[in-house]
Amino acid sequence: MASFLALMLEYWPQVLSGLGNTLLLAAVISVTGLAGGVVVFYLAISGGPLRRRLTEGYISFFIGTPLIVLLFLMYYGLPQWGLKLTPFTVAVIGFTLNVAAYNARYLMTAFRGLDPDELQAARAQGFSDLQVFQLVILPQVMRLSVPALTNQVILNLKDSSIAFLIQYAEFFAQMQDLAIRSFRFLDAYLVAGAVYLALVSVVVVAARWLERRYVLPGVRRAR
Amino acid sequence: MTLLSVQDLKLEYDGRIILDGVSFDLAQGELKVIMGPSGSGKSTLLRCLNRLATPTGGRVVFEGRDVLGPGVDERALRQRIGFVFQNFALYRHLTALQNVTLALRHLRRMPAAEADERALRQLARMDMQAHAHKYPAQLSGGQKQRVAIARALAMDPAVLFFDEPTSALDPLMSREVVNILHQLRDERVSMLCVTHDLYLARAAGGRVMFLDEGRIHAEGEVDELFGPNADPRVRAFFHQELRQAQTAPPIDVAQPMDQAQPAGPSGPAGLAER
Amino acid sequence: MSFLQILLQLAGGVGYTIMVTVACSLTGVVVGLGVAMLSRIGPPWLRGLLGAFTFIFRAVPVLVLLFIVFFGLPNAGLRVPPLVAMMLSLGVIAGAYLAEVFRGAFDSVDASEVLAAEAMGLSRFQILRLIEIPQMLRFAVPGMINEFTTVLKYSPFAYTVGIPDVMKEAMSLSATTLRGVEIYLAVGIIYFLIYKLLVTGVWALEKRTRIPGLTG
Repeated sequence: MASFLALMLEYWPQVLSGLGNTLLLAAVISVTGLAGGVVVFYLAISGGPLRRRLTEGYISFFIGTPLIVLLFLMYYGLPQWGLKLTPFTVAVIGFTLNVAAYNARYLMTAFRGLDPDELQAARAQGFSDLQVFQLVILPQVMRLSVPALTNQVILNLKDSSIAFLIQYAEFFAQMQDLAIRSFRFLDAYLVAGAVYLALVSVVVVAARWLERRYVLPGVRRAR
Repeated sequence: MTLLSVQDLKLEYDGRIILDGVSFDLAQGELKVIMGPSGSGKSTLLRCLNRLATPTGGRVVFEGRDVLGPGVDERALRQRIGFVFQNFALYRHLTALQNVTLALRHLRRMPAAEADERALRQLARMDMQAHAHKYPAQLSGGQKQRVAIARALAMDPAVLFFDEPTSALDPLMSREVVNILHQLRDERVSMLCVTHDLYLARAAGGRVMFLDEGRIHAEGEVDELFGPNADPRVRAFFHQELRQAQTAPPIDVAQPMDQAQPAGPSGPAGLAER
Repeated sequence: MSFLQILLQLAGGVGYTIMVTVACSLTGVVVGLGVAMLSRIGPPWLRGLLGAFTFIFRAVPVLVLLFIVFFGLPNAGLRVPPLVAMMLSLGVIAGAYLAEVFRGAFDSVDASEVLAAEAMGLSRFQILRLIEIPQMLRFAVPGMINEFTTVLKYSPFAYTVGIPDVMKEAMSLSATTLRGVEIYLAVGIIYFLIYKLLVTGVWALEKRTRIPGLTG
């Protein structure tokens, strides 16, 4: 193990860049996935029955299909049609489509726990549908969904390692490279595991803090 | 001056007739009570007036304009009407003050300071200014009712609609609601109150209309309606309500009035933790 | 090659996909049940240890653990076959998540019933076996479905350790025919169909074994 760690130190720019790329990807898709999730959620609860049905279909499909298939379709499939995208672009698009679907599903679960009278009161006050969504629905479902949404961020961090399979130079890819150089596969992957453990722990602490801050007296939580 | 004129209002839904030609007027500054058993169409009637429900026939003239026709701005209409719900329907993620300022800030585009000041005045009118920064879950039923009324009054509506204001309250708090209605009536606020609470209908003091099976069967002063010449249907309803009141458990007058309700049970089962 | 022919070619890998999914799911249930039960009736120090276990295995990515087991262990002289590697990685991780699901489900069992059983003189193991587990399993159904579908969606990793599942078929087909988009689209449809089948299958099973008033 000691000799492997020495090797890691020797290649520290690479390792650091990989770490940076992992965090970058995780952060970007957490943001776009959340924004996308809110949009999809809005589409799923408003508008006509056709729009709702289609949105449900989108959510269902992207929850029921492996992320890796989507990534491979874009990275290995599209070039055969003449469209070559960078690994990062493919990862961001693919993850966002996937994560948005999950987030929309969490928000919808929370939505079912809302008091319909509050929504009717908002309409009775003369608010538009968009205003009711902005001022009454969204603030409540977001608070109710904090555990699920933060869980998703942790998942995003872990799943960023999948991007290694489409040649994105993130942390796991760098560790793989060091493993091949040194033939110390076990050491390399154990260190990788430990690093992910540390990163996730940080996010968990942040998530608990967020949960504590946003629980309102009397607002029920969707577990 | 006639503020509201309802003419032959009809609503049919799923083959059932819910409103069967309801007509009445409400004058400026007047308080009217619509009384009737559950399922008589009372709440639906109210919701037709601000277009939360869509009637299938009839006319409603509010502030001189036909509000059921095409091309009517629903949102503008609703801002002229203050609606107080049976279960208060306070926005539970907002404090009492924020509940009252929400419409002022986002519909009237009032700056925050002005909205807060206005809201506090309405809360004070309902004797709730001390609780301005509490969340609905920290308030008792009666307190929530008062915040709901303050919220409805904040936009300076032409009329207040009350949908079963005492149904979610115990008899002691019902008396408070009657006091509030009297207070507002003295201030010449136009009000339409829908209820099946006999005590409220009698004590409120305005003209009472009896609604049953979608039609108004009697209208008059309180004493006329409950007196010896009362409509037999009214009498039957009266007797039934009275019997219910007599079999209800006695009120413990030693219990303090404003007791904060405990927070609700934990929420619906969500997704399993991933 | 028509789209239909592509589908049929890929279908050859479905058997392996299902095998991997089922094997890892079962591993997950066994591990999850074990952890949840020991947590429930074991001494506090064991509970702490098991808590650490579930935390660690919910924090490490599936791919990383898979590589540790399949490519890393040989360094320590331990070689495992591909399917076992999947079970020891994806399966154990599923077990860590299911342990949480089962813990929640155990907590949903009415404590007064456990008390009544104690009063009757039943042993701790008997109470667990006869009263808590039958109820707990039914409460845990939504969580289990969630986890099984997750296992299905991570099963494509099996290609990295050489298992000829749908993913592997797709990759070799794509290399030879250069029809990547259609192929991976077909793969997506296949996985989605398996997913739908899995979900409806488990719900049908749940309906058969439902107890009126328990989860209704």
